[in-house]
Amino acid sequence: MSNSVISVISRFLEEYTTKTSNKLKVVDAYLFYILLTGALQFLYCLLVGTFPFNSFLAGFILCVGAFILGVCLRIQINPDNKGDFLSISQERAFADFLLAHTVLHLVVINFIG
Amino acid sequence: MCNGCVFCLVLLTVALGAQALTPSHHLSLSDVDRLKGLLSQPFTDLASAYYSIVGLSKLGASVDACQFLKAQLDPMSVDSLFFAAEASQAIADCEMPVFNETRDILLAAVSEDSTVTQIFRAVSALSSLGLPLASQEVVAALVARIAKEDNVLAITTALQTATRLSQQAELGGILEEIEDLAARLDDLGGVYLQFEEGLEATALFVTAAYTLSDHADTEPPLKEDQVIQLVNSVFSKKSWDSRSEAFSVACAAAALSSNRFHVPVIVSTQGPATVSHSQPILHLLVTDILSNPLASANLLVESAQAVASKSVVLSQAPFSLRNGIFELNFMASQPASGYYQFTVAVTGDSRLVANQVELKVKVSTEVAVTNMDLSVVDKDQSIGTKTSRVDYPFKAKGSFTADSHQNFAMNFQLVDANTGVELTPHQTFVRFHNQKTGQEVVFVAEPDSKNLYKFELDTAERKSEFDSMSGTYVLHLIVGDATLENPILWNVADVVLKFLDEEAPAAIQSKTLYMPKPDIQHLFREPEKKPPTVVSNTFTALVLSPFLLLLILWFKLGANISNFSLSPSSVLFHVGHACMLGLMYVYWTHLNMFQTLKYLAIIGSLTFLAGNRMLAQKAVKRYGQSSTLTFFTRSTCEN
Repeated sequence: MSNSVISVISRFLEEYTTKTSNKLKVVDAYLFYILLTGALQFLYCLLVGTFPFNSFLAGFILCVGAFILGVCLRIQINPDNKGDFLSISQERAFADFLLAHTVLHLVVINFIG
Repeated sequence: MCNGCVFCLVLLTVALGAQALTPSHHLSLSDVDRLKGLLSQPFTDLASAYYSIVGLSKLGASVDACQFLKAQLDPMSVDSLFFAAEASQAIADCEMPVFNETRDILLAAVSEDSTVTQIFRAVSALSSLGLPLASQEVVAALVARIAKEDNVLAITTALQTATRLSQQAELGGILEEIEDLAARLDDLGGVYLQFEEGLEATALFVTAAYTLSDHADTEPPLKEDQVIQLVNSVFSKKSWDSRSEAFSVACAAAALSSNRFHVPVIVSTQGPATVSHSQPILHLLVTDILSNPLASANLLVESAQAVASKSVVLSQAPFSLRNGIFELNFMASQPASGYYQFTVAVTGDSRLVANQVELKVKVSTEVAVTNMDLSVVDKDQSIGTKTSRVDYPFKAKGSFTADSHQNFAMNFQLVDANTGVELTPHQTFVRFHNQKTGQEVVFVAEPDSKNLYKFELDTAERKSEFDSMSGTYVLHLIVGDATLENPILWNVADVVLKFLDEEAPAAIQSKTLYMPKPDIQHLFREPEKKPPTVVSNTFTALVLSPFLLLLILWFKLGANISNFSLSPSSVLFHVGHACMLGLMYVYWTHLNMFQTLKYLAIIGSLTFLAGNRMLAQKAVKRYGQSSTLTFFTRSTCEN
């Protein structure tokens, strides 16, 4: 059982490093960074307490929101998905990404207190 | 008791079918004197002279100012002629000189082009000076002017003018104006009826209506209730602002006391409406509104009903007249003490209005305390150990002692001193007064079913009222009532009360009730506990560390900015984007949402335009590359 899990994982990693283009890997690195930041914030909240609760929420929601927007960007610029996004060029995807981020930042900064 | 009175009133009204409204205001003798005083003030011109002389004559006083009138007369002015002529009519043997032009001037004023006041003054002057006038022409002019000047004062003046015309003239149209004017009166609470123009207008209307009705010998179309309400309005004001107002009130009073149709009658008591054994006779005055006694009136008690028991004590009993005052010996009917509702009727003149009056009469009496027995009763045996009889107004010899095992008891009876009937007055109190401490405790003595008063003091039960202070208390009996002429305050005895001493409080607690209470300190909300700075700093560093990891990863992936084109739009885009991020920081530290949105709009639109341009250029470049590649591939394939 564990054997198959390990073999699945190693196969996945191999395919990932060879098949995915550099552009996508850059975005994946960004997503990993966001994930780590959110996880660390959550860890702090668990360990120390929720004292400025609004600040915690603001930070956590920013991480979650950025992750989601990053995932959307990755989906839209993946050339394999071109058929699903015929009307949206890569530049358009990036512009949407930036606009959504602006709104997210505005809301989060308002809430951070 | 008041509810009972109102109920009686309503019942009587319904039963007898009479109106319940009686005048609440009239001119008493002092009011009449005050009115005469105001009118008697010295006058300097003809108008004031007219008001004073004619007003005083209506009230029965006369002023001799004939020379003044003759001196002030201006024979060319209609107003001057009017004032002088009218005033001279009120003075005996005073005749104004008549010139040749006088008649012409006055007749010229009687036309459709003059105001109603002018017509009235001219017509009055003509009739007072004895000069002939054509009544029908005056009527025509008046009717025309009424149509043009439709206000209250004008129509009232027209009514007054009509009283000077010959009785053969057609006054029917003008008589109808009385009813129309009466409809314009404002009803205030069902008690007052007046014009919104004020007291003077109402009083002048009353005068005009009755004078004209007398002149034309037709009853004025005013209902009795309306007459009473008018009386209330005109005579409610007891001090008058101006001579003309006083004049109008005097004229109205004279008109209402001596016209041929409606004479309001005032029935009032002389002094308080109380009878007793010492004063058994009820005195009533019957006057008109000027407080002149009515010559031909007869007063009759229709019914006298006790308010408490609703039994009718007297019915259809006449008053006897003595020296202008109506008297009735009410005590002859042997009424019990209390309040009685009288309904009296004034007869003898068909003109009388409001001749059925309700009166409340009090019958008072004297009370006597009899059979006062004081005793100290043992609780276990209920047998009086010591009973002594005390007679009013003496004090009991010796004091009574009661400790916690004994009760102090008091029995007595209250009777009417004159008839011997048992009474239950409103106030029967037993008062204990400690001379040393100043304490005063009051209890109520209650009658039982046989009207015997009993009071019992349970020493142990009542110790809280006495604050357990033992000592000698002076005992008073207090008896009082509105119908008693001799309220009683009787020092009956001294009572020594003994309470168990260990229960006596150290100080009287009531004194501390009014001292300042301890201060309350306000506790502000405690701020929440913060984690130590070391911990939060550590975690801040920890949270920021993935950024380093990101940079390392990107470097390893080979992400670079070598493709960065230094076109103005891309530079502007990047600068704008950096500004937006900077604005977020500034928003966090300094700004509020509205300011931020304002700046964001400016920076954002610039960034958007620049970014749009930049991305378009990038897209063009990318499509150019791929199309070249396709072309190259296709060309090679074709080959």
